[in-house]
Amino acid sequence: MSSPIIIACLKWVAHPGEPHDERFAGASPADRAALELALQQAKELGGTVTAVTVGPPATETVLRDAVAAGADRAVRVDGPAAMLSSDVAAGIAGVAEGAAWVWCGDYSLDRGTGSVPAFLAAALGAQQALGVIDVQFAAPGPAARVTRRLDGGRREVLDVTGPAVVSVEGAVADLRRAGLGALRVATSASIDVVPLRSPARRLKAVVQPYRPRAMALAAPDGSPLERLRLLTDAAAATAARGETVTLAPPDAAARIVAALRGWGYLDS
Amino acid sequence: MIAVVVVRDGVLPQGADEAAAECGGRVLLAGSGTVMAAEALATSLAGQVYLLELAATGFQPAHFAAAIAPHLAGEPHVVLPASADGRDLAPRLAALLRRPLHAGAIAVTPSRVDLARNGGTELHRATPAPEFLATLLPGVRGVTPCPGAEHTVEVLAPLPAAAAPAAGGPTDPTVVAVLPPDPATIDLSEAPRIVAAGAGLDGPERIPQLTAVGRAIGASMGATRVVTDRGWVPHARQIGTTGVVVDPSLYLAFGISGAVQHTSGLGTPAHTISVNTDAHCPMMQMADLAVVADANETLDHLERLLGRPAEGDAGTMQEGVA
Amino acid sequence: MTDVDVIVVGGGPAGSCAAITAARAGLDVVLIERGPFPGSKNMYGGVVYPRILDGLIPNWWEEAPVQRWVTRRSTMLLTPTQALTVDFRSQAWGAPPYNGATAYRPDWDHWLAGHAEAAGAQLITSTVVTGLLRAPSGAVTGVRTDRPDGDLTAKVVIACDGVNSFLAKEAGLYEHTDAKHFTLGVKETLALPKEVIDERFAVRDNHGVDIEILGGTGGVNGGGFLYTNLETLAIGVVLKLTKLGAQKARPEEIIAGLKRHPAIAPLVQDGELKEYSAHVIPEAGLTMMPKMIADGLLVAGDAAALCLAAGIWLEGVNFAMASGMYAGEAAAEAVRAGDLTAVGLAGYQRRLSDTFVLKDHRRLKRAPELVLSDRVQHLYPQMIANVAERMFRVDNPDPKPGLRRILAQERKRAGVRRRDLARDGWIGFRSFG
Ligand SMILES: Cc1cc2nc3c(=O)[nH]c(=O)nc-3n(C[C@H](O)[C@H](O)[C@H](O)COP(=O)(O)OP(=O)(O)OC[C@H]3O[C@@H](n4cnc5c(N)ncnc54)[C@H](O)[C@@H]3O)c2cc1C
Ligand SMILES: Cc1cc2nc3c(=O)[nH]c(=O)nc-3n(C[C@H](O)[C@H](O)[C@H](O)COP(=O)(O)OP(=O)(O)OC[C@H]3O[C@@H](n4cnc5c(N)ncnc54)[C@H](O)[C@@H]3O)c2cc1C
Ligand SMILES: Nc1ncnc2c1ncn2[C@@H]1O[C@H](COP(=O)(O)O)[C@@H](O)[C@H]1O
Repeated sequence: MSSPIIIACLKWVAHPGEPHDERFAGASPADRAALELALQQAKELGGTVTAVTVGPPATETVLRDAVAAGADRAVRVDGPAAMLSSDVAAGIAGVAEGAAWVWCGDYSLDRGTGSVPAFLAAALGAQQALGVIDVQFAAPGPAARVTRRLDGGRREVLDVTGPAVVSVEGAVADLRRAGLGALRVATSASIDVVPLRSPARRLKAVVQPYRPRAMALAAPDGSPLERLRLLTDAAAATAARGETVTLAPPDAAARIVAALRGWGYLDS
Repeated sequence: MIAVVVVRDGVLPQGADEAAAECGGRVLLAGSGTVMAAEALATSLAGQVYLLELAATGFQPAHFAAAIAPHLAGEPHVVLPASADGRDLAPRLAALLRRPLHAGAIAVTPSRVDLARNGGTELHRATPAPEFLATLLPGVRGVTPCPGAEHTVEVLAPLPAAAAPAAGGPTDPTVVAVLPPDPATIDLSEAPRIVAAGAGLDGPERIPQLTAVGRAIGASMGATRVVTDRGWVPHARQIGTTGVVVDPSLYLAFGISGAVQHTSGLGTPAHTISVNTDAHCPMMQMADLAVVADANETLDHLERLLGRPAEGDAGTMQEGVA
Repeated sequence: MTDVDVIVVGGGPAGSCAAITAARAGLDVVLIERGPFPGSKNMYGGVVYPRILDGLIPNWWEEAPVQRWVTRRSTMLLTPTQALTVDFRSQAWGAPPYNGATAYRPDWDHWLAGHAEAAGAQLITSTVVTGLLRAPSGAVTGVRTDRPDGDLTAKVVIACDGVNSFLAKEAGLYEHTDAKHFTLGVKETLALPKEVIDERFAVRDNHGVDIEILGGTGGVNGGGFLYTNLETLAIGVVLKLTKLGAQKARPEEIIAGLKRHPAIAPLVQDGELKEYSAHVIPEAGLTMMPKMIADGLLVAGDAAALCLAAGIWLEGVNFAMASGMYAGEAAAEAVRAGDLTAVGLAGYQRRLSDTFVLKDHRRLKRAPELVLSDRVQHLYPQMIANVAERMFRVDNPDPKPGLRRILAQERKRAGVRRRDLARDGWIGFRSFG
């Protein structure tokens, strides 16, 4: 392989703390970690980094930030803001074909399903390792030993050989800070825009505030009456079940201490 | 509808029973140790169980997808648990079956899927295509166990073509090891009292402070995904579906919105306190004491009230003089 | 060769206006802001007076991110149980060319910075300026930032980094800074439906109200304000730092007290707390102003203590925009003339002296001190309110007393010496008259 191409997939998302203020938007911590690993791996392999995003023109800010941090090339696959994960993956695959390695965040903050990377791996015929919390590069060549989370706190250690799609959690790496000169150049860096290969579909849905689903519960032991009470209590758990108080911080703290004492969590 | 569940050495993933229950007890178990897994599942479910034993070292998403897909040809509606392995497998299956995937659902029926979106703050209700796959978030549905329930088991023969990874076909990473839960977090998973940090905290320096407040009331410190992603807290202390599942009796949430992926890993605390500036977020809704206040300043005052006990001095409380 | 012609530090109103004028003059300008976008963390009370923009952004009112146009201004005097309000309303202020407006700072600053970019300035965000670069002569030659390879050189640096300017201090332009020259502004943003605000404040459409409050801050010298946005209210207090420390009072309690006042409570009732913020205000006007010009350096806006905080006036954004604008012009002049010394930059001083920026400050030189003095804060409100109460009270069968008698009696009762009253009155007349 001449000069391996390493891809970082970056999605432009609103900041979770300011979901209604797009001016805070940018790449998620997980995507930023993905970019950092791409830059580190490119250095190890003597390759180049291509930052890719799928979205409308406004999303190019994540690409400029990536170029400022050291990405060699930036590609925006022109598409709508919301589309099916499989179509996003197909869009990225068009750019990532032939790449040695693809780095993604483990899930996007808004849609948040973590399915783009696996779709991408399927489309590229690449290996996949998702939800990775540790990466050790294995020289020589594009290979790495990664640790990923399973459920129940278990972890899995995998040896991955490229071509591969690896999705990482945000704490795996801190994105390096762009230099001032690089940042200034990046504001006018050229960004390649490519069309989607297939039309973007999106799922039509009625959006409402999240409400938990009523849970199926094991029938409690005890008398029928007790059972009934427990069951109805449990049903009520989905609605507000406690007390809501608006307090200045000092009073809030005092109220919490009082509650803890009242429930017997504090001696004396 | 049929549930597809990956089995590793007879161990079921989180949410396997709920996915199976969502499909009325119809479930395909694929992987190693499926017979054992079927027994574990059967204590809580009546229904039809299909077993597809796949010889593999660990879970291999590309290979598994190729082996499972042919068996789903006549199954228009497939549900997988949105556990780590489900997230790996579902898109691969969807790609092979050329069907849409609705990931992160909290409820699935053939004619409707309810999806948790935007960090669990929104519910998207959608009408799916006639054939689809979905993943169901663990911990949102619950199951009603029915001991002694009748279930039938059918063993499926692996299709010869899919029995081994085809040469030149998609490959999978090599599984080196599966590690038990991180010992550093044992205190968290078994803690009877937990204080937890959310994105409402304004900086990493809040973490030692929260830890100190926790220590003063004998509580371990945990965090949400947003906080671990920021690197303020080791990822092993993340509570939720993709983190540690806990079951404390006392839970104090500071600046936590209460996304489903977080709360479904929370167990059923007897007492919950939530401090948040948003009175209406789910964490406040489920709290016994919901305090509308700035979590950071409240922490400052709590620290003052409870004192800063010496390192390792858990459980004792010093009454500070204000 | 320097990297650029002008570096403007701080993307507040002063910085963006400096960048606009300098860039429009054809200079190569970099505007550096520490937040993720200009205005992201900036706070203030809530009213801007953008007249100064008439020349800079013609018809600015057609595009400015305004919440409401202020068509009603009230000045309120509070004692614990009384309120005396002077209320003025002008429909003219609700039509072009307008007068004052309520606006959110993240919107306002972001909008202004957009004009700086449109003029050709390069905006660099999430970058903190950590120091000045100096020539051996002491002349400022650029800035150091917190980024790798973070030095940037320029012919002129314009420091618009806000109150307590670290750059002006580093350049040695502040002779002394004293806590008694600062007030602490704290503010709560309360959400209410638009119709409720319209009804409570007797306004329609996008018209709004600006209430300045004297009294109501408990034992701590200061003042308060209450402004209407479209769907929020801004209520806050401005408190003398030295008194705040001495009284060990907590600002949030003082706001809570103000919100409980019988004249205020019905206005803010049921408002849902959206945000609480605090910021220091340079309050002493001329008394504390630093030198604003050094070789290679200009200082504008709050960084130069140009904020006017004198009782019924709380204006800083207009002073910041104007001084920034003049600094940009002066920098361009100096670069064109090739004289980057303080002498070459002196056009800045001239512009400030010739316009409201320093004229208002000269006129109101003693106003802040007067307004925050113990007499004005703790004695006069009670005295004036009592006078009003007795004027309006009907004491039949007693006949109405004469105003002069009431005045004399209430002055004595309040313990105000005639001499002090006369002197304060004179200062007040000189300042505000
Ligand atoms: C596949 C997948 C798996 C996931 N797994 C997990 C998991 O295992 N664990 C987990 O926790 N999350 C998980 N998440 C993420 C989850 O969806 C949420 O995004 C996350 O739990 C939100 O964390 P948070 O409450 O800290 O942040 P946010 O949702 O951003 O909430 C911050 C809260 O702080 C409040 N706040 C803001 N300022 C203040 C203040 N000054 N004082 C008080 N309150 C304030 C806000 O009102 C808000 O309620 C997962 C997501 C996906 C898609
Ligand atoms: C409570 C309160 C109420 C007020 N009410 C009003 C009002 O109603 N009307 C009014 O006109 N004025 C009001 N003011 C005053 C007004 O806010 C200020 O006068 C005005 O903001 C000054 O503008 P500026 O551009 O000089 O500074 P700022 O607005 O403070 O802007 C400074 C900018 O510089 C950036 N910065 C600082 N240091 C650095 C650095 N080292 N590197 C990079 N960037 C840096 C900051 O992030 C900021 O964006 C109020 C002030 C307060 C505190
Ligand atoms: N529109 C997009 N553009 C670029 N990358 C994306 C996009 N959507 C998702 N990704 C990548 O896929 C990861 C997982 O996203 P998701 O499957 O949407 O949860 C993200 O962290 C990104 O790395």
